[in-house]
Amino acid sequence: MLFFRINVMTGTVFSAFLLFVLVSTNAHAIPAFTRANKVECTTCHTIYPELNEYGEAFLKNSYVYFGKGDKGAKTKESTPPPAAKAAPASKSSAARPDIKGVGNADTLNKLMAGALVATDDTPAESAAAVSHEIPAEEGQPVTTAADAKSEGLLLSAIPEQLPISFTASINGSYNRNTVNEFDFSTRSLKLNAGGNFKEKAGFFGTYLIYTENVANIANTSQTPGNLTSKNDIGELFLIWRHALGSPINLKIGRLQPKLGLWKSNNKLSATNSLAPYVYTVGSQSVFRLEQPQDALEANAILANRLFVAGGVVNRKQQNTKEGYGHISYKFGGADFVANEPEIDLNKDESIFDFLTLTIGGYGYFGTNGNPNTTAGVTPTQNKFYRTGVDLDILYKLFRMRLAGVLGRDDNPELTVTTKAVKSYVAAVEGQYSFLENLIGALRFEYQDDGRGYVRRYIPTIGYTPLQNVKVAAEYKHEIATSYKDLPGNTAQDFINRIGTLGVTFSF
Amino acid sequence: MKRLLLLTALVTFATYSQADARIKVKGRGDKMNFDPESISVEFRPSFDLMTRKCVKCHTMERTVIAIQTGRAPITGQPFDKQAVKAYGIKMLRKPNSEMNKPEIRELVLLMNYLLEENKK
Repeated sequence: MLFFRINVMTGTVFSAFLLFVLVSTNAHAIPAFTRANKVECTTCHTIYPELNEYGEAFLKNSYVYFGKGDKGAKTKESTPPPAAKAAPASKSSAARPDIKGVGNADTLNKLMAGALVATDDTPAESAAAVSHEIPAEEGQPVTTAADAKSEGLLLSAIPEQLPISFTASINGSYNRNTVNEFDFSTRSLKLNAGGNFKEKAGFFGTYLIYTENVANIANTSQTPGNLTSKNDIGELFLIWRHALGSPINLKIGRLQPKLGLWKSNNKLSATNSLAPYVYTVGSQSVFRLEQPQDALEANAILANRLFVAGGVVNRKQQNTKEGYGHISYKFGGADFVANEPEIDLNKDESIFDFLTLTIGGYGYFGTNGNPNTTAGVTPTQNKFYRTGVDLDILYKLFRMRLAGVLGRDDNPELTVTTKAVKSYVAAVEGQYSFLENLIGALRFEYQDDGRGYVRRYIPTIGYTPLQNVKVAAEYKHEIATSYKDLPGNTAQDFINRIGTLGVTFSF
Repeated sequence: MKRLLLLTALVTFATYSQADARIKVKGRGDKMNFDPESISVEFRPSFDLMTRKCVKCHTMERTVIAIQTGRAPITGQPFDKQAVKAYGIKMLRKPNSEMNKPEIRELVLLMNYLLEENKK
């Protein structure tokens, strides 16, 4: 009977998924960055919200589209293709282009005007850009005479479009271990805002407007519950780009500290974050790597392929500050400012033409526990650290992510008699891109959090019938084994089998 | 009188040549494309390739406008030979673009040719 029920459920989910696949057609997405930069979602995403390398570059460039502002890529030389070496420079933008043809007259008029107007650069910079800069794909809006910003908006640094969008998630899950086995009542609505002010400052914010029944859907909420009683703000920060003309960006506010290679929502799965980023130690400490913190962070892209970040965190009711650092380097592929790699088109294909490898390392140290801001009271506290390494490998249609973290907590249970705990957590995920809008992934996670072992096997299929609508079907097989020789251990053995079908859409 | 006629003929000839040198365009909106007849015979196979492959993700109108204006339609960034090569490499590496290196090279050379012709 149970077998029959599971088969019916599986069949229903699969049929619904198949139906969605068959009846859908492509369209353009419209959230804030798309609106502001007039690009399609796939410019920066594989399957939304997972980022591709251009999305990573946009993120690292403080939400300024590649090529805008004073990025370092302009110094990069590029060898032209063979036939191009002797060619003169392209048509000067100072001369009105003679456009022929019978296409969209309005578009052509705008483009003719746009061709006459330098986007953001001074004439000298424009000339440099023509000869040196490798532009990224579509994305930077044409500043045309027809739709130029009003001077007032320009001087005020106010974005022309209101830079907000919404993300809604609706998930249905099947879990035999719960009373309500089929649960279709999980949903959330989040407000997102992001962009830049005249390329001098970037900003980003998320506000969780509404959630319902998200307990079983890990990470739907990005709320740092331990920080404040007002817990609706996920992230809210401002970035001073290239402070004082240096390559350093200063970021302040509530933010996810730059530790691992990927932000929490940069994944195919609709629900499951990578274990190294979300695991906690003990029954009292709620620290997670991807948790937004009140922080001041400095970061910089150096030599286009090296990214460094470091920051200080202020934890509520703790007068000791916490600190962290990150370093990553990218071999192959587009660099961190979206310049394409130099590939000789006259040579045979090589594995190195397509191989991209990004490696990152990080560390975080901090203190949590009872408040230490009350005079005369000795608090019970937990000093901890995390250190980890991530690896992102991309080769044609394959992608692999590896993440590992080592942690130590000196008193995670916040007891009078302290007992240190070491934790080891790792995840490996392989992805294959069947179609540009259909990706499959298989993840394995191993988690030793000092109380027991947990192994997870998570296959996922993600599909975007429209670029701003994502359907993800996934299954989590979770096997937990507690430490039997640990006195007072509250961890238990269990096996979870959770199937989830989620729809996420942004607008 | 002879001189005047000769001069007129020369001016007419020069003007005619210049006007006809650029690649003709036909079609409207999404259907806009270069006229294959006005493309040099040696580049026709490359043009066929471009017409088949590039339209998978965008219209040919985008390509035509980029060639004619010297700027990428959406980004507004310069669309010159450097940019053509960069776009080529990007498309080579793009998952599911289904283009290999020789094909990309053909298309880069074709677009360089189109850019050259557009300057005449």
